[in-house]
Amino acid sequence: MDVEELLIESDLIREFQIDNHDPATAIEAARPLPLWRRIWEISAVRKLFLLAVMALIWQLYAIKLGNTLVLPSFTVTVQAFLDALKSGELISRSAVTLKVLSMGYIGGVTAAAVLSVFAIGSRLGADLLDTLTSMFNVLPAIALLPLALLWFGLGTPSILFVLIYAVLWPMALNTLAGFSSISPTLRLVGRNYGLRGLRYVFLILIPAAFPSIVTGLKVSWAFAWRTLIAAELVFGVSSGSGGLGWFIYERKNQLETADVFAGLFTVILIGILFENIVFRPLERNTVFRWGMRS
Amino acid sequence: MSIASIDSTAEQKKVILSVEDVTLEYLTQAHLVTAIVHTSFKLFAGDRLVLLGPSGCGKSSLLKAVAGHLKPTAGRILLNGKQIRSAGPDRAMVFQEFDQLLPWKTVLGNVVFALTASGNMKRKEAELAATHYLHKVGLNGFLHAYPHTLSGGMKQRVAIARCLAMRPEIILMDEPFAALDALTRQKMQDELLELWRDIGFTMLFVTHSISEALLLGNRILLVSPHPGQIRAEVTVDPNTFGSEGDTRFREISERIHNTLFRDIADYSI
Repeated sequence: MDVEELLIESDLIREFQIDNHDPATAIEAARPLPLWRRIWEISAVRKLFLLAVMALIWQLYAIKLGNTLVLPSFTVTVQAFLDALKSGELISRSAVTLKVLSMGYIGGVTAAAVLSVFAIGSRLGADLLDTLTSMFNVLPAIALLPLALLWFGLGTPSILFVLIYAVLWPMALNTLAGFSSISPTLRLVGRNYGLRGLRYVFLILIPAAFPSIVTGLKVSWAFAWRTLIAAELVFGVSSGSGGLGWFIYERKNQLETADVFAGLFTVILIGILFENIVFRPLERNTVFRWGMRS
Repeated sequence: MSIASIDSTAEQKKVILSVEDVTLEYLTQAHLVTAIVHTSFKLFAGDRLVLLGPSGCGKSSLLKAVAGHLKPTAGRILLNGKQIRSAGPDRAMVFQEFDQLLPWKTVLGNVVFALTASGNMKRKEAELAATHYLHKVGLNGFLHAYPHTLSGGMKQRVAIARCLAMRPEIILMDEPFAALDALTRQKMQDELLELWRDIGFTMLFVTHSISEALLLGNRILLVSPHPGQIRAEVTVDPNTFGSEGDTRFREISERIHNTLFRDIADYSI
């Protein structure tokens, strides 16, 4: 209906005159922030600032303490890290650790996938997996190392066993939680398309449960990483080439505290790198893009 | 609105769906609930049959049984003379819930996937068909958007386009507009009728809104609860009334309301 006409018909409606084109009265819809505010809005900048502050506190306290054996200063630690990096030792040790890690991780994730698919298939299977996960999820993997050494001897197989165990339960727990939280409507839609069996699992259930599956991958990676370093600290050498954990343990025995710090620093660095290179892009291209997590 | 061009196809009276003496039961933790008892009706080609009843009267269960998600404990349901045994793409369904779209696929991807996953269509062909039907529901500008970026009304449009593109024998609608705001709902109702005139599908529509039933249906089955039974059938004559404000419309609404709620004053709303 024409507004003019309406105005004549009734005086219940009154229209206001708004002129947004007059520069004298118009209000700017958006104003740019000053430069320093814009830089401060970047979270990486804020985090780097915090790291710098912490490094400074470390440095000052270490200088005041003046005991390199207990607490080497920040600069000494960085120097030790760079030296170990240059000599190639840190890299070769990290490579050993990462090789074992990837084997254990892939093994554990595969085992969890098989168990989960079995568990969706039948109610008894789901009950079994549920019982197993609630039992073993609270038993730390590292506690099985003595038993593993007894069964598999001193060597990589023992560590692999512990790693697979560390990955399996958090992964299975999250995957199963993901499957059981899929909306019934989505399941009906899949059935409606006539999807059955594995096609139904791969085309509907797995993508629908993907947020939980990604969480499972992240959590179990962290579990594996921590378990492996811990296992290597206890027993990390096989055929003369130990991993990162063994490096830390060795240097402690040699009272090279700065090197111990450098080793710990490497553990943190690899963890953060993995998070940013693998999991962030994975999440960005899947669950965030799909709006399944915000 | 007017329903002037009604039923040129339904004149032929070809039976698409035949529900014969069906009883439906389902299991909860403590009870075996009877949702529907000894219910029969027929759906003809081009029909817009509405199952109307209060919440919990079993109308949705009946729709689920037709979809093949729920097996009748007695009686049988025939689609083109063949008994329905499982869910299939020849009965496409629009749900009330907005999460019926696959969130990991775009608008176009959702419709294409419905066509390729349900069997026979090649990708190229499916894309053409999907684009055609998405255009019909007015979503040609949103083909590559992900569902979470759409409004509720737009999501339901995608779901409707998906159903139409599958070219099913019947389109099953389970209160598809119930979760929408009033303005959007009205618009969607008009558009659905427009699509029906344009394409001429057969539809089984479930709702608890009397005015929605009168606007959309050419036949209305009134379902009363505890347990669900068909109380009456209303044939909506296209010339009976003009619009929702019409006196005749209000009279019929009131009649239907009285029929449905006569026996259940205790549970009154």
